[in-house]
Amino acid sequence: MATNARTLTLTRPAPRGILRSLLLTLPILIWSPLMLLFSPGSSTKPVWLISSAITALFMTALFFMMMRTHSTYHWRRIFFVSLGILFPIEFIHNLFVMRGSMGIPIEEMIAGRTPFCFMPIPLLILPAAFTRTLVFPGSIIGGIAAMVGLWLALTLVMGKGWCSYACFFGGIEEGVAAIPPRAKIRKLDPRWRYVPWAVLLAMVLLSLAIFEPAYCMWLCPFKAVTEYVAARSTIGLIQNVIFILLFAGLVIALPFLTKKRTQCAWFCPFGAFQSIFNKISIFEMRIDKERCKPCLVCQNACPNLSLSKESIARGETLLSCMKCGACVDACPRQAVVWHIKGTQIAWKPERARLMFLYAAWAMAIMFGGTIIAQGIATILHFVV
Amino acid sequence: MAREYLHMAAFVSYGEALALGLASGPACLAACGPVLIPSLLTERTGFRPHARYLSAFLAARLVGYMLFAVVAWELGALASMLPAPRLLMMGVVYLLLACVLLWYAYSARRSCAQPCADSKLVQIGESRNRGVAGAAALGLLTGLNLCPPFVVAGIRAAQLGSMAAALVFFLVFFLGTSIWFVPFVGLGCIVRNQAIITVARMAMVLIALYYLLIGIAMLLGKKTYGY
Repeated sequence: MATNARTLTLTRPAPRGILRSLLLTLPILIWSPLMLLFSPGSSTKPVWLISSAITALFMTALFFMMMRTHSTYHWRRIFFVSLGILFPIEFIHNLFVMRGSMGIPIEEMIAGRTPFCFMPIPLLILPAAFTRTLVFPGSIIGGIAAMVGLWLALTLVMGKGWCSYACFFGGIEEGVAAIPPRAKIRKLDPRWRYVPWAVLLAMVLLSLAIFEPAYCMWLCPFKAVTEYVAARSTIGLIQNVIFILLFAGLVIALPFLTKKRTQCAWFCPFGAFQSIFNKISIFEMRIDKERCKPCLVCQNACPNLSLSKESIARGETLLSCMKCGACVDACPRQAVVWHIKGTQIAWKPERARLMFLYAAWAMAIMFGGTIIAQGIATILHFVV
Repeated sequence: MAREYLHMAAFVSYGEALALGLASGPACLAACGPVLIPSLLTERTGFRPHARYLSAFLAARLVGYMLFAVVAWELGALASMLPAPRLLMMGVVYLLLACVLLWYAYSARRSCAQPCADSKLVQIGESRNRGVAGAAALGLLTGLNLCPPFVVAGIRAAQLGSMAAALVFFLVFFLGTSIWFVPFVGLGCIVRNQAIITVARMAMVLIALYYLLIGIAMLLGKKTYGY
């Protein structure tokens, strides 16, 4: 009898009923408009109200589909790619309105008006500990404190889930990776996985030595689509060339050829830093070794190269897992499951998935949803 | 009376050297960190290899300090104050640092993270020599790195009455800064595996590329800060 029950659960679950899916979506239905209408960047202008309504509907519809289909990755990717596309649109538009250029002149940096993203967070720790100084030319109250506070709160709950539900950079490469029907480069050397840790180590040490956020100054590929150092010298020019080459290689060419998030998997130091917090987060992916064949479908499906034969044999993902759900959705035997630490493996995995998704989606609306709404408002501003 | 005055003056100036060394220790640590930490991480687990590496590094760093003390005293404060020779010297030091780091990263490919590495048979020549020679080269070059506290010490040493006094001044300054390096022996506690060694080697390459670029820019007289 027990064997029969086991065999039955190997088949993919049937779609949930519409009413039940709607009931499960209700908290998100309430949360989305509230969050978007009362977010810090909100206003009562019709353009903002329209874009907020579109975003709220969009986020709610995606969550409804996640509930109805039991599938996570596909619907999350639609949100994530939208975020990746709309963030630069909104950000670049803002830069042109504020200063008429994407280049940051040194005067703006000295005045502490450089916009702060989450990337330099690990680079700030050692200089702050040694000298009680933040080596970033931004305003503490106006941006750094808010971003660090938000990041810390969300990270403690989600771990590296940040990289799949909040990062406004990863969507571009995830979108590019989705374009080709199959990967042109399939054999990937596993040692490339160490590069983000090496970049993290080198950039943390150099930031302390040269007293500026070394990654932002030298290696951030996303400077190419956000803001860059105004090239007034040869060094500035070299920096910009590095940004563009890294963006073209890691965010466009390699994701297209490998169908992987290569910048995240092979380069991003923030992702490596964020991996550490997977140890704290209560949510994780596990592999039920009794059900696993192993066919390695999950390993091929993982966009972040967070599964290896050894880790599958151990019944777990690598530390770099971003909890995107691709492996769970791909597994033909339902062996990869969402899991809450401290519980038995495969004990009510759908409950673990729901708990994670409520937290992740609430965060996605609060952080990414606001950016999407601002991006739509920017487009409406031009179109209407 | 004159003798007492001389004793007092020596006490004050060497006390100043010690205070300067102790106060600027974190700055020295920050400047040496990109070189020291990745190279230490390619060493084997255990306090002894780390203590041996640090001893070689610090001893060579002392040699660098002493060389600079001689130059500072012979040429006076000019050597450390004129921007052109300073930039030239820094550029050459950065280029040499880059070369040594690249060599170190390359030669560390054979570092064995397993306990078998303790065997004398496995260790013939290769790792031990690399460790001491590499540590000494890196220590000497970081010792010649003209960071602001080091320049201050150079100017002060140039004002002393004799070369011997300048050498003692730098020795005391070195002792003050070196205290900050002692905790690095603790990195020996981190259990090495192939992943850590690979990460350390990759980090060395990245840091070497940065030094290479900055070194070339300095030699060409380009601005490396301020954009």
